[in-house]
Amino acid sequence: MKDTMGIILAENADIRLNELTDIRSVAALPFAGRYRLIDFILSNMVNSGIINVGITTLFNYSSLMDHVGNGNAWDLNRKTYGLFFLPPYIRGGNAAGLSGGNVDMLYSILTHLRRSPQTYVLIAGGNLVFNMTFEDLLSFHRDTDADLTVVYHRLNDNPEQLRRTTVYEINAEGRVTGIEHNPMNPKSNFSGMDIYIVERTRLIAMIEEAHAKGKHDFIKDMLLANIDSLNISAYEFKGFVGRVDSIKSYYDNSMLMLNENIRRELFGGENLIYTKVKDQVPTRFGENAGVSDSLIADGCRIDGTVENSIIFRGVSIGKGSVVRNSIIMQNSVINENCDLENVVIDKECTLRSTKRLIGQPNYPVILPKRTMI
Amino acid sequence: MISTDCVAMILAGGQGSRLGVLTTTVAKPAVPFGGKYRIIDFALSNCAHSGIDTVGVLTQYQPLELNTYIGSGNPWDLNRNSGGIYVLPPYQKAESGEWYKGTANAIYQNIEFIDKFSPKYVLILSGDHIYKMNYDNMIKYHEQKGADATIAVIEVPWEEASRFGIMTADENGHIVEFAEKPAEPKSNLASMGVYVFSWPVLKRYLTMDERDPQSSNDFGKNIIPSMLNNSEALYAYGFEGYWKDVGTVQSLWEANMDIIADPPVFEIDDSSWRIFSRNPVKPPHYAAKGAKISNSAITEGCEIYGTVKHSILFEGVTVGRGAIVEDSILFPGAVIGENCTISKTIIGNDTVISNSCTIGDKSIGEDQFKSKYCSADISLIGGGLVISEGTKIGVNAMVKESI
Repeated sequence: MKDTMGIILAENADIRLNELTDIRSVAALPFAGRYRLIDFILSNMVNSGIINVGITTLFNYSSLMDHVGNGNAWDLNRKTYGLFFLPPYIRGGNAAGLSGGNVDMLYSILTHLRRSPQTYVLIAGGNLVFNMTFEDLLSFHRDTDADLTVVYHRLNDNPEQLRRTTVYEINAEGRVTGIEHNPMNPKSNFSGMDIYIVERTRLIAMIEEAHAKGKHDFIKDMLLANIDSLNISAYEFKGFVGRVDSIKSYYDNSMLMLNENIRRELFGGENLIYTKVKDQVPTRFGENAGVSDSLIADGCRIDGTVENSIIFRGVSIGKGSVVRNSIIMQNSVINENCDLENVVIDKECTLRSTKRLIGQPNYPVILPKRTMI
Repeated sequence: MISTDCVAMILAGGQGSRLGVLTTTVAKPAVPFGGKYRIIDFALSNCAHSGIDTVGVLTQYQPLELNTYIGSGNPWDLNRNSGGIYVLPPYQKAESGEWYKGTANAIYQNIEFIDKFSPKYVLILSGDHIYKMNYDNMIKYHEQKGADATIAVIEVPWEEASRFGIMTADENGHIVEFAEKPAEPKSNLASMGVYVFSWPVLKRYLTMDERDPQSSNDFGKNIIPSMLNNSEALYAYGFEGYWKDVGTVQSLWEANMDIIADPPVFEIDDSSWRIFSRNPVKPPHYAAKGAKISNSAITEGCEIYGTVKHSILFEGVTVGRGAIVEDSILFPGAVIGENCTISKTIIGNDTVISNSCTIGDKSIGEDQFKSKYCSADISLIGGGLVISEGTKIGVNAMVKESI
């Protein structure tokens, strides 16, 4: 897919996970013990052979920049193309892109789009957990002669989340006939994955037109408004899709990583999910460590008990402490005899000994980054 | 330090035949160590942390794995515009071509390579030692003393001194005597095989040594004694800390166990001196319901359903339900079937132990797999093998083929 360039819209103004995204873009959210959400789409693009990847950002992008660096971990430190970090672009006092609308975001990177020679552009968000390559999508897009192809999956078991997505009506030929954005009563369960493939020159024309008319939203103003004149195809992805768009979905999708089949699908196949290397030592377990149904990354020191939890790199859990149904992010320290249940502890927190934090299964307690209790 | 001040040359061509089946297809420096490293990572990481950015790695025996592992040198920050890492196998020259005959000859054959950088000093390292050492301090010491050669030494127990090259030095560190594996050692300062030479001096000695047909072209046996005879300025640089030559199955096993001792005998979890390695692309390790893990080091990509005690598991190892792994080292991708009992055993890469096997069983004692390479009840199973269901293997065993 050398003829396709990738654009990752790392910021989504609609998605907020309170304390967890106050300090970082949603795409930079730590996930599954050693990844950040952006690793999935970035690896998927690289595994598809895309070697020109741009990442657009808006606010709080320093943790994202720090994470992707020069793109080396994804093999994107290339002489030609490679990784492009595209922060908001302010021209002549006109802060294009700062409004947060995705049309504005795309408008602010027009120069990058014009300068890239690839025929197609693959646009995607940064908040999905999935393992997919895009070669089939591109052939499907070509074969159906579509102006633009959207990727969707069937979201059967989460009506609440379905109402937060773009829902498509699709006819027998696979053409999109209706689009609903965040519908109260969705007409189908064909939930958009915010992934689009389109010819680059057409995309540029669409963006210029929308911008000239003062429009901001890709779905409402560019797709829905032109649904009769555009030939929009829909491509179904049948694998696992974890959409992180709320604290609950972050927590639930994290816990799904304890499911062997899902873990195998995401991490066990040919197409690997890459992330920044930290050179941590192997995790050490002490004499009285207890661990059950948990994912534990490198560089941890486990002397207590861990059950049904996700433990990130460099975490230490002291003697007599019990951690259940929880997510503990990088370099946090849980001292001795603490009792934690249903909590999400952000990076670099410290819990002194004998602290007790109990959240509800559907409402985990969140400890913001660098909290000390 | 300016990069071209010093070029490091790592001797990584040795077979390490005493490691038995672990080195049949890889050179000793490429043997896995400590849960996510290769032995050579220690010398390379020491270089990276000491500010040495021009490194030659001399390979000869089974170099493929090592070449692939080193790659561009990126994991050790050695992918530089100037300098960087170079893999140096022996090569054919216009008039002749030959294998590296000895440690000194390996450097002799690469004089042109070193000359390209016009360094003041050359640091000679061995690719098969486990230690953390700041070479920059040693180079500074070499400068201060105005030495021609500086040899790093470590105090060893007197009773073991006769296994090492032993230095006798005066109170200024000036070396007055050197004896290779002396029957009656006069000192307990053992050479660590880490040398700093002033390049012009070393070049002269290498050239002289090459002309001597009687020489075995070895640093310890030839170069150092002949420099000493000619009263060159040789100094001993005392090193305090952990240092281990992992030349035998037993010493390799012990050095691994030193990492998981509580407190560790050798601490690798040191954020100021990380050991770099080529990291696997694997998810965090998964411990299932019913898993029991204690006193162990576990790496990413492992899936543990059984019991792991006092062991080291490299990336992507699976331990099945009901299995017990104790005092063992499982190399990357090893699979331990259900209800196996593995005791004091090193298992090679991607080897599959089928269900209900017993390996390293003391009640069996030594059996037909007994090997001269194995001691202290440690057993060794080679890489890429399949051990069929219900197999029982005793202690001090070495298995080379699937059974």
